[in-house]
Amino acid sequence: MASEDEVSLLVVVVDVNPIWWGQQANKEPQFTLSRCLDAVMVMGNSHLVMTRNNKLAVIASHCQESHFLYPFKLWKCADGHGDDNTSTSGDGKYELLSVANNLIAEEIKVLMSRTEVKGNQTDTLLAGSLAKALCYIHRVTKELEAGQEMKSRILVIKAAEDCALQYMNFMNVIFAAQKQNILIDACVLDSDSGLLQQACDITGGLYLKIPQKIALAQYLLWVFLPDSDQRSQLVLPPPVHVDYRAACFCHRNLIEIGYVCSVCLSIFCNFSPICTTCETAFKIPLPQMVKTKKKKLKSST
Amino acid sequence: MLKISKLDYRQYYILDIPDIRIQEDEAAATCLAVYRELPPLAKNYVMRMLFLDQPLPQAAVALWVKKDSQKDHDQCVSVLSGLRLWHTQQLQGGLQGNILNPIFKDNLRIALLGGGKAWADQGDSLGPDRHARDVDSLDKYALERWEVILHFMVGSPSAAVSQDLSQLLIQAGLMRTEAGDAPCITSAGFQFLLLDTASQLWYFTLQYLNSAQTRGMDLVEILSFLFQLSFSTLGRDYSVEGMSESLLTFLQHLREFGLVFQRKRKSRRYYPTRLAITLSAGISANTSSSVMGAIPGTGDSGFIVVETNYRLYAYTNSELQIALVALFSQCLYRFPNVVVAQITRESVQQAIINGITAQQILHFLRTRAHPVMLKLNPVLPPTITDQIRLWELERDRLQFTEGVLYNQFLSQADFEVLRDRAQGMGCLVWQNVGQRVMVVSPEGHSEVKRFWKRQKSHT
Repeated sequence: MASEDEVSLLVVVVDVNPIWWGQQANKEPQFTLSRCLDAVMVMGNSHLVMTRNNKLAVIASHCQESHFLYPFKLWKCADGHGDDNTSTSGDGKYELLSVANNLIAEEIKVLMSRTEVKGNQTDTLLAGSLAKALCYIHRVTKELEAGQEMKSRILVIKAAEDCALQYMNFMNVIFAAQKQNILIDACVLDSDSGLLQQACDITGGLYLKIPQKIALAQYLLWVFLPDSDQRSQLVLPPPVHVDYRAACFCHRNLIEIGYVCSVCLSIFCNFSPICTTCETAFKIPLPQMVKTKKKKLKSST
Repeated sequence: MLKISKLDYRQYYILDIPDIRIQEDEAAATCLAVYRELPPLAKNYVMRMLFLDQPLPQAAVALWVKKDSQKDHDQCVSVLSGLRLWHTQQLQGGLQGNILNPIFKDNLRIALLGGGKAWADQGDSLGPDRHARDVDSLDKYALERWEVILHFMVGSPSAAVSQDLSQLLIQAGLMRTEAGDAPCITSAGFQFLLLDTASQLWYFTLQYLNSAQTRGMDLVEILSFLFQLSFSTLGRDYSVEGMSESLLTFLQHLREFGLVFQRKRKSRRYYPTRLAITLSAGISANTSSSVMGAIPGTGDSGFIVVETNYRLYAYTNSELQIALVALFSQCLYRFPNVVVAQITRESVQQAIINGITAQQILHFLRTRAHPVMLKLNPVLPPTITDQIRLWELERDRLQFTEGVLYNQFLSQADFEVLRDRAQGMGCLVWQNVGQRVMVVSPEGHSEVKRFWKRQKSHT
């Protein structure tokens, strides 16, 4: 089977927004960030054991940075030598997996203790993380040997609210992914995300808002583990209705009807005589009409 | 022709292991290896059911797939049931339900999530190794060991292998020995040499396993050790602590093949090499791509350039590789780093007489193609591939078909009745109307005979 030779890369982007997870821990103490990461690790492990060629990357999307949880240290000390946490747990776990999981746990600890949340920046930098994921995929593709093919997809585990400020960056990422044939899947924990709905719809991925957060691991294994080949055979949740509203460039509000610059196609929620993006001045016929009327009035008097 | 496919390997433990595994509580490594060999859809089924403790109604399982891939579903169900990876169980409402085999489930969970016994003693208990090996030297070691075996097969005087190994080569039919003489290579051996390293390794390991029971080794034990080895990390050391006597002998053999590195025979630690680790990757269906060349340091990486004028340039100074190229081509010039050879009709015919097939020659050229050639599509010039195949076809001008001869018909009418009957049944192979002779295929013979008897009794 040809598909067995194919490298399959899964990049998981986890939203680790400390504010949202803090609130979540107060609301539902049985589902915390560590539980979520456990589920992600189960998913990642299952992906890795499927075939030898499967690869995994995990990116944490914080409100101040996007951080690679795995693989990160491996690049520096390529084959595990000199790595201080090679002392695996010494149980029946597949060695590769326990190394990966330790690394993820280590990195997330470092990340969460390092950052302190400042009041004005509370949005998750999801667009940035996705861009990082795309860059990583590109890099892995270039490192492949001749004749090898790679299929890659991105799985976003989204917790916090959408951020309309990132609309532009987000759309650019989506179209870049579409061009590279990279699927974007989204598993939404809390409120629906219009941006991710669009991302999944455009790239052909799956969008699922999970009804029960506790069962995250099971949802991941059922819905998001099968790769695109198997998805065509399996019965999966039906596609959701996609919210295709765009965000205006002036206030970043999601709008249904708005003004579009005829030169650069920027979207605005209210009219302005000069486009703020391309600085085109619009010549509006309306004032001219008034002028000619005035002239006529003058001549008649 | 040597038939080495992933299927053999799969069958090997699919046929033998599950029974045994269910009796003994087998290691997580074996379960993981079995899991990896499942068809992709079945892998997903297993994953979906891995964390369920209650049986799932069969009707629900059937709804997992779309209608048009029902066939794949049925195949998965039969594979999973055949391997006894899942059981059927009566549900409360009288429905039939499926549940994963508890031993398999527990072990797979352990492999995924941790817990349970450790697979192998890692070298930790021994403290850091003063003679630690890095990956490069391990690769080099593995390659050297393997080449010694190949050299031994082609009869290089410098290569010496143990009695066990040469016995194994003879048993595998790769070499044969005349009484008292040193063993010499067979035509199967020639074919073996043309395979890529991973396939060679698999063929060899299978042969070893086949003979393992006759040497009084426990097949299950060594297989699970082999699986465990293939899931270990390159460049790490493991301890031989707790291994049984027969496993230690096995380790010594693996050491000789270059699958593991052990500094001294009595050393308490060993390093698995890349050969061992790629073993469980099996042989993929299209080894023609460079995927197998992806075993760095196995010396398979490309060095051959073939031109449309049947010239072959081999950029190598390995005696072994040159000997292999010379199996089917005629050497023209030899330089320190390159050999120029010509693929001719005579040379290819000679190879085919030795039992090598055109397919194997092409496979050899393709897997050893120089990176420059790999960029071309197709890798080998079509004129060359076609011509080599044509040269092979030249040799089979005769086709043999078994048959039963009918002759001495008394009248033309009798002949025609029987002939038409045979023709109608599609079992007529050949006929000659003038001499009233016909040949019927063996399958149709009894039917035609019965018809003839009936016909005779009527008249």
